[in-house]
Amino acid sequence: MNLAIDTPWALTGLLLALLPLFNNGMRASLAPWLTLIPADTLSVFIVCCLRLCAMAAIAGLVLGMAGLHRTEQRRERIGHGAHIVLLLDRSSSMDNSFAGRAPNGLDESKATAARRLLTDFVKQRQTDLIGVAEYSTSPLFVMPLTENKNAVQAAIAATATPALGFTHVSKGLGMAISFFEQQPVTGSRIVLLVSDGAAAIDHDSEQKLREWFKQQQVRLYWIFLRTANSPGIFDTPEDSRDDNAGAMPELYLHKFFLGLGSPYQAYEAESPDALKQAIADINRLENLPMHYFERIPKQDLSAACYSIATLLLLALLGVKFCEVKR
Amino acid sequence: MTETLFYRLPWQSSSVYPGAHPGQMIGAGQLFKRHEPLIASPDPRRIDLRASVLDPFSDYRVRVYQQQSTVNVYVLADMSASMGYADKQQTLLQFLLTAANSAFGYGDKFGFIGCTERIEHRWLLPACQHSGRVSALIKQLERLTFTGTANGLQNAAAFLPTERSLVFLLSDCHFPLFQLRQLLDSLQGHDVIPLVLWNQDEYATLPNWGLISFQDMENNATRTLFMRPALRQKIIAAYQQRQHDLKHIFRAFGSEPLFITERYSTQTINRYLQQRAA
Repeated sequence: MNLAIDTPWALTGLLLALLPLFNNGMRASLAPWLTLIPADTLSVFIVCCLRLCAMAAIAGLVLGMAGLHRTEQRRERIGHGAHIVLLLDRSSSMDNSFAGRAPNGLDESKATAARRLLTDFVKQRQTDLIGVAEYSTSPLFVMPLTENKNAVQAAIAATATPALGFTHVSKGLGMAISFFEQQPVTGSRIVLLVSDGAAAIDHDSEQKLREWFKQQQVRLYWIFLRTANSPGIFDTPEDSRDDNAGAMPELYLHKFFLGLGSPYQAYEAESPDALKQAIADINRLENLPMHYFERIPKQDLSAACYSIATLLLLALLGVKFCEVKR
Repeated sequence: MTETLFYRLPWQSSSVYPGAHPGQMIGAGQLFKRHEPLIASPDPRRIDLRASVLDPFSDYRVRVYQQQSTVNVYVLADMSASMGYADKQQTLLQFLLTAANSAFGYGDKFGFIGCTERIEHRWLLPACQHSGRVSALIKQLERLTFTGTANGLQNAAAFLPTERSLVFLLSDCHFPLFQLRQLLDSLQGHDVIPLVLWNQDEYATLPNWGLISFQDMENNATRTLFMRPALRQKIIAAYQQRQHDLKHIFRAFGSEPLFITERYSTQTINRYLQQRAA
């Protein structure tokens, strides 16, 4: 209960809460000698209650005006799950359908399918910390690791905007891995790369990525959304002249990932159903116990203050109607 | 034209002036008192031959008669704030006027002692027979708002004459009982007629239900009561107990109080005065 106040000077108004101690707000009728009237415990009790009500009503109004709120808090939680960074490809080819055409009414684009299925995936993974990063020409930082599923789903939904040009996978991976920096190592750490193509990674980047994957102990899942008639990641070149990174970037990227030394799994999805299967696989595999802090956002309590004050004021108004007029 | 209070004395006034009440003086009167030698009261018309013959010293015996004398009538009024409640002040003034007129009618002297916190000279009227001064005093009192307590009552005896007088004590007796005892103690040399002014609104006409905030007229303390039939009965019972206690104390000092809780009426007081003289 870390309570805080927006405008601390408004708390001086709390002095007003002392007013009911000096004035009971009732029209006094004169009595010649009060000593003659016998003491009455019930009346004293009721008067005390009314005083407290009045003081609480004033205090509630003042606290409401001062903006009482509960500060952001961290709650320690232990669950089964993983730290997952969704690394989404935002190259323009993602806006095509699995058949490699612009989507018509019948089939959806790869991006839409990925979006739909990832949203379901996020829904199922209630205890995970999930972050979102994207890449195209350069990496896009979308959402850090968070347990707030609404935010993640909103971030995934935001990929509905039209995509950009290129596919710069090495920088995207670098950003995805950077999400794990300054995070405690609990549960498993996953980078879920969803892409429909690959690009060659230059030598320097390869070196750095190897280092980072080792350092951060990250597992990599690659869901390759294969467009019909394009080279897959498991294809071997028919012609040895095509056996280079420039001609078959997917295969070489796959090979690079295999050689990273960290656990790696690749899925080749050629339809929304295959994509669904791949995601279900990951969902099943990654359930290690993990220890994390849930962040509870700042909670505004002024509305509660106002409603309590209103209730009390209504009660006092009712009592006012019970007052005897003489 | 105001009504008259028929106050009669069950004792003899020591005043020398002839008036309307039984006195200790001898003189022109109807009631035989004793025989005296002719030397002591040289009135040959009143020689009692039979008593003179029977006198062993052969002196002339003269019959002497009790003289009707005046008496000093005082109104000792409590002018504390509680006496300003409802129509008490009005009752006080009405009684003051009636008593003064009655006293002047009997040929008695009338005085007034108004007591607030202390006794103030402007509320003092020494025994006199000037109805003009009384009406002037009443006019002043009409404009006055009663405040404070009635502590001045304790010193009132100092402003009364030493000879026995008739004292009407007008108060609501809303002060501690020991003060009342002290007051009656100091007034023991006089004939005290206590008139206790209460008002039905104080206790009898309270509502059965509701919240009511009372403010004490004397010390301004406030108390809020949640009225309900049981509490109302308790308040009425408390007033009855108070009435009982007051009667007890007054009787201990030889006077029966008259509680005036309804509207002021001279007839009620007269009935009470006649019961008292009987």
